[in-house]
Amino acid sequence: MTCDELRPDYLPFALGVLDDPERSELRAHLARQCDQCLAGVREANRLAFAMAGSVPALDPPRRLRGRVLAAAGIVPEPRWHWRTAWQAALATALAAFAVVLFQTNQTEVEMAALRQQVERSGIEASRLREAVSLLQSPDMREVHFGDGKPVPPRGRVFYDSSRVLLIASNLPAPPAGKTYEMWIIPKGGKPAPAGLFSSNTQGGALHMFRLPSGAVSGTDTVAVTLEAAAGADQPTTQPLIVVPL
Amino acid sequence: MLPLLFAVLSAGDGDLLVRLQNRDPQALAELYDRYGRMVYSLIVRMVEDRAIAEDLVQETFLRVWNRVAGFDSEQGAVGPWLMAVARNRAIDYVRYRGRRPERGFEFTETENPALFADPRDHRAQIDTLNQLRSALGKLNQQQREAIELAYFEGMSQTEIAERMRQPLGTVKTWMRRALQQMREHLEGGVPA
Repeated sequence: MTCDELRPDYLPFALGVLDDPERSELRAHLARQCDQCLAGVREANRLAFAMAGSVPALDPPRRLRGRVLAAAGIVPEPRWHWRTAWQAALATALAAFAVVLFQTNQTEVEMAALRQQVERSGIEASRLREAVSLLQSPDMREVHFGDGKPVPPRGRVFYDSSRVLLIASNLPAPPAGKTYEMWIIPKGGKPAPAGLFSSNTQGGALHMFRLPSGAVSGTDTVAVTLEAAAGADQPTTQPLIVVPL
Repeated sequence: MLPLLFAVLSAGDGDLLVRLQNRDPQALAELYDRYGRMVYSLIVRMVEDRAIAEDLVQETFLRVWNRVAGFDSEQGAVGPWLMAVARNRAIDYVRYRGRRPERGFEFTETENPALFADPRDHRAQIDTLNQLRSALGKLNQQQREAIELAYFEGMSQTEIAERMRQPLGTVKTWMRRALQQMREHLEGGVPA
């Protein structure tokens, strides 16, 4: 197809709704750096950007900024005020409660992973609250993994109808530019990304992921792979952790 | 939220992009301060769940932080790319939640920041938004619904036809005309 024939397709392409064969044709033009099609798609992407501006504005919760920075390995400068202090105290109390709850069978490394999270409580408070909420849920179920294997990682997966919490220890340090990615694998389906996470210096990690209510019941397996730091849409390496639910 | 968009564009992204590429932590904080509200608002609109939206906002900024090196800072605006990544994450979630089959294609265009470059000055970008606001208001109900299903729910044209119980050709015609109308506004009345 010629560029002129593809011109009406620039905007459907930018919106992600263009079907084949037009989509493949247009992608081929872009791959060979076709100036007209590149310019057209760029313009269309600007329009799509403006579409985002048509939604009602909402203020994100204050804690989200800290979560975003922490996910990138950045610890924001502390800004102490009553709200921050209250959040830190609450997170510390909740995390301490979680430790007590599982102290009878929690391994040292798992506890170290949890303590590491507590130290970053101002940032991770919401995630810890969610983890404790799951641990308190009457519907919570638990699966161990890695027990008895000569080369762990080992740990547990806690889950209810809408949440999955992974607590792992003995994770190898990821190579530079790599991170851990969790996957939710539905029965008979392809793996779906379930978030990126990193391990602490002791090889411990705690990762929480939410799903639509009831979705976990359709989940067959939770897995973890090493991926590029930006994450992947499908696993690209052999899983380090595979946990049938 | 358009006034918010105007404010965002007025600030400009050029210096911010360079600092992001230099892995300046403060630059990521500024990126969030500039776009966090927009990203969060868009994702909440799409997934209709604020807790889920928080997770997806985090994933969005992390992906951009890790892939910004591929962006041509000479050409500009990180905003359109960031919002496309946010939309992509939200669509993946919406489709997963709805147990809809995976998209017949992956929206991998977000992996190519060059497609989101914008060398125009901020005034021109703001003019575009003003024109778009006018154009959106002139679409008929069917055109608007088709575009919203595409943009906010990630439906293919085939899925839109099924949802709206219309022949695929009719939906394609609506969308092309709608998008052509919008483009004519953006081009100052020159037909596409």
